[in-house]
Amino acid sequence: MAGEIHSEMQCNQVEALLAEILDGTLQGETLKGFETHQQSCASCRAMIDEARAGMNWLEALDEAEPPRNLVHNILAQTIGALPSEHAVVKPRGEGWLERLKGRLAPMFAPIATPRFAMSFGMAFFSITMLLGIAGFHFADVRHWDLSSKGIRRSYYEAQVRVMRYYENVRWVYEIESRVRDLRRAGAPDQNAQPQQQQEAPAPNPKNPSKSDNRRPGPQRQNYSRGNGEPVLATFPAVMLAAIPQARQNRRTA
Amino acid sequence: MDDNQAVNALVRRCVSGDAAAWQEIVQQYHRRIYNICYRFSGSADDASDLAQEVFIKMYRTLSTFDTTRASFMTWVTTVTRNLLVDHFRKGKYDRITDSLDAAPGDQEDGLTFAERLEDKGLSPEARVRSQETQKLVHEALRRLSPELREAVILRDLQDMDYKDIAKVLNVPEGTVKSRINRGRTELARLLQRNYKQAN
Repeated sequence: MAGEIHSEMQCNQVEALLAEILDGTLQGETLKGFETHQQSCASCRAMIDEARAGMNWLEALDEAEPPRNLVHNILAQTIGALPSEHAVVKPRGEGWLERLKGRLAPMFAPIATPRFAMSFGMAFFSITMLLGIAGFHFADVRHWDLSSKGIRRSYYEAQVRVMRYYENVRWVYEIESRVRDLRRAGAPDQNAQPQQQQEAPAPNPKNPSKSDNRRPGPQRQNYSRGNGEPVLATFPAVMLAAIPQARQNRRTA
Repeated sequence: MDDNQAVNALVRRCVSGDAAAWQEIVQQYHRRIYNICYRFSGSADDASDLAQEVFIKMYRTLSTFDTTRASFMTWVTTVTRNLLVDHFRKGKYDRITDSLDAAPGDQEDGLTFAERLEDKGLSPEARVRSQETQKLVHEALRRLSPELREAVILRDLQDMDYKDIAKVLNVPEGTVKSRINRGRTELARLLQRNYKQAN
């Protein structure tokens, strides 16, 4: 095609002018030369027809409609603001619920994802299951006495339960300590004495202020086993003597 | 005050920190930018993401816009095109080189490209107007090389003149015309050849 030479115009010239030909902007002698060439050159006619067909296909494509939230997303990512009322395409007469949704939706957009919803669901399920195992039932809430008197009573009841439980534990320690003392008194062991003193030091009578400041009791005891014999927790005799007095004081209070 | 002056004033307001001016720019140009991204990438989701990236880039570089060098429309199109090319080079939006005779993966009707073209049995004008044919032309456009695709998109879909397209693509005007002609011809061959084969 390029090698063909015609009287008015060559094929390569037609190819160079193809854009103007399709735009219809050729004028004067150039237009006449092209028309003469086109009548005698089938290959150029085919080339022009193909290009024109492609142009027609493309120009017939409709404009794509952008997503409705595109402007909002752009503004949120640039100036971090919602579009003004005139900028947002909103149907007229929408209710307060739609407006509220429109305002809340961007706030919850980062967490309104399936991943967060799944995590939230799993957490809710786990908490509900744990409460069920612990004996808590939401149906019992309506039976609760939420008055100030009822709350105070519940508080003291709970306190009494805790104290009772704690004292029961202390009694266990006392009994165990007594049993161990009795055993030691029945079968004295010279070798075990220093170790016992090391493991369960008695309060120092020479320095009562120091022993009073430190909290004696099971927390500072060494519960490891020694000489194959279980070493039980002890409760200091001083504290044992103070228990009835403390209990009396509490009852008085 | 003509359109260019109005837009330049809008840009100046925006650069000086007027958020309302920026909103107006976004309102005016988001359709155009979205359509360029959509026709170039071929995917609505990608186009939405890319359009947002374009506006973020514009927002950051708006102060570099020189009113004496080009119109704002040309500058916006240049920013869009450069971002699209960057993404293309990263391989995110690769050219589809499948044959038109192969059934596209996202179409599950089992028909080939040519069969779907021929399926309507309508005149060319009526086919173009139909929604199905719009999809076919859109798919054919995606099969063009990026150089030809961007040239025909700017010319035939965005109605830009050759001079502005040359500025956007940073190539001579003759190259622009050549690419447009080749793009149109290749697109027509992709569509018409298969249509004729189907007949």
